[in-house]
Amino acid sequence: MVPNEPGSRPGTEFELRWRSSRHARRLLTLALFGVFLATLARRPEFAGLAAPALLLLAAGQGGRRPPRITVRARLRSRRGFEGELIALDVTVAGHDGCAVRLALHPGPEIAPAGPAAADGPQARFTFTAERWGRRQIGALEVVLRDRWRLAEGHARMELPRFDCYPAPARQRTTVVLRRLPNRLGEHPARVAGEGIEFSGVREYVPGDRQRSINWAASTRRGRLQVNTFAAERSQDVVLLADATSDVGEPGRSALDLALRGAAAAARAYLDARDRVGVITYQWGGISWRAPGLGRRQVYRIIDSMLAADTGGWTSDAIFQRLPRAALPPGALVVVFSPLLDQRFVETLRDMRERGFTMLVVDVLNAAPPARPGRVDQLARRIWRMEQEAIRFSLRELGVPVLPWDGEQSLDLPLAGHTRRPMAARR
Amino acid sequence: MSRPAALRAAALRAAGGAVGVRAAAVLLGAVCVVWAAVPLPHRGLADLALAAAIGAVAAGALRLALTSVPTLEDTYLLTVPLRAWLRFLETLRLVPWEEGALLAVLWLEVLHPSRPWHTAVLGAALVAYLLSTHLAETDAAPRVLAPQARVLAAGAALLALGAGAGMLPAVAPGAGSALLRLVAAGALIAAAGLVLPHVTRTGDRS
Repeated sequence: MVPNEPGSRPGTEFELRWRSSRHARRLLTLALFGVFLATLARRPEFAGLAAPALLLLAAGQGGRRPPRITVRARLRSRRGFEGELIALDVTVAGHDGCAVRLALHPGPEIAPAGPAAADGPQARFTFTAERWGRRQIGALEVVLRDRWRLAEGHARMELPRFDCYPAPARQRTTVVLRRLPNRLGEHPARVAGEGIEFSGVREYVPGDRQRSINWAASTRRGRLQVNTFAAERSQDVVLLADATSDVGEPGRSALDLALRGAAAAARAYLDARDRVGVITYQWGGISWRAPGLGRRQVYRIIDSMLAADTGGWTSDAIFQRLPRAALPPGALVVVFSPLLDQRFVETLRDMRERGFTMLVVDVLNAAPPARPGRVDQLARRIWRMEQEAIRFSLRELGVPVLPWDGEQSLDLPLAGHTRRPMAARR
Repeated sequence: MSRPAALRAAALRAAGGAVGVRAAAVLLGAVCVVWAAVPLPHRGLADLALAAAIGAVAAGALRLALTSVPTLEDTYLLTVPLRAWLRFLETLRLVPWEEGALLAVLWLEVLHPSRPWHTAVLGAALVAYLLSTHLAETDAAPRVLAPQARVLAAGAALLALGAGAGMLPAVAPGAGSALLRLVAAGALIAAAGLVLPHVTRTGDRS
């Protein structure tokens, strides 16, 4: 059986498996044992006791039982964010007057937000996905009961998958490069242009617009002066999500934070009209989505990170093999990583040496468990020193490493770099 | 009343109704056990039957109370207490407690000397117990039984006739006379069965 896709009209047909209900089996027990005792004890009142059950069983034999039904399950949205309320509309056709009961059996990480069962041929179930990923919503159980409630027809429908996106963190400010590519955007560049941000005053030359004449400065200097403005440019931003290590408690692990942070950064930079792409670094390869513009790019980026719909894939985790479209020269690279994988750290060093301006958001918020043993404590200390050494070596290369706990806004750790343009030191 | 408040009120009403039906099923089960047991005859495994009836009704009540408790499909890497709890739930839901209670209660009743009206009342209570248990386990409203009203009324009439037949004095002493009354009761049920299609057809139209 193929589950319904959103928008499909006819629904899915199911063969019903009819069997006698528990109620019928109990009535049968009462009837048979009553008749048995009546015969055994020769007491007609026991035959009378069995009579109502016998009558009900006999009456239920002629009930209508449809051999098949059509179930239509439609998700209001196939995508949503963690904790977002999603509705599932279910309609059952062809039940032929039988009582219909619908029960939702939720899949892993799916939490019903209302009753998980409903009576009637139409019902709406609401649920939320508790953690990002491609989630199996679960199964829908349809139970039909005949008029006498003596027979039950069962059908089970596997519900469609649901893409749950990580809930983006909060980020309103952006880091802007000092040298921006020659492309129209919203960031004021250091060169003069047709923007709206005032940059200075210079002497009038023929061809300048009359409206840009600064009359106050002209009066003071005795010659015509014109205002100059900063050009407005956009930048390429590549988000680099490290999916090699997932440490910490589920829901607040390093990977959770990396994806939430990357989603927030994608939104913030796309809102600033920048071209944003993503590279997801994982064991066995790299998936990437070339920088692009627009609101849809947020979803493309998150899809790419969830490996649902990747733009490209290289089997070796070597950044030199990435096409220029995936990692354009001069792009700002924002890395979300716990920096636990040595190969990934080497890759960052390599990228830095190739001249990329980089910023690492450190999403490591877990440490090895603190045990009382002396050796354990020593190992823990060595581990901590190694981590500090990794971060120190990156800072020495000119790569800022900004710790982020996932709770606070991303604006706080980025504050030191959002106030002024960021320069790429060679 | 605003829409969320109305929805909350409806949900509360539904929950209250479900609790009421479950409580009714448990009470009817307890009434049936007491009705069939008092006075307790000390023969024919009456003590065992009483214990079985009480246990079955109690387990059935527990099953109804735990109907909405979900079971985990993936039991991998669960703790021992959680596994034990899941196994307990599975057993509770698998065993036909109500059938056991029926057998025990009827056995208790048959151990008593003939008391036809008492048995008839027990029969009515048992049918009510089964119906309320069914409503409770399917979370259905009592109105779903409306189409069965005619048949239940016919069953009640037969129950009364059965009790009446039990009270008739024997035409002659011996086993033959009792058997004759039994045959008469059976014939009555068969006659009701013949009339039944007409009764249910009328019910279908309604």
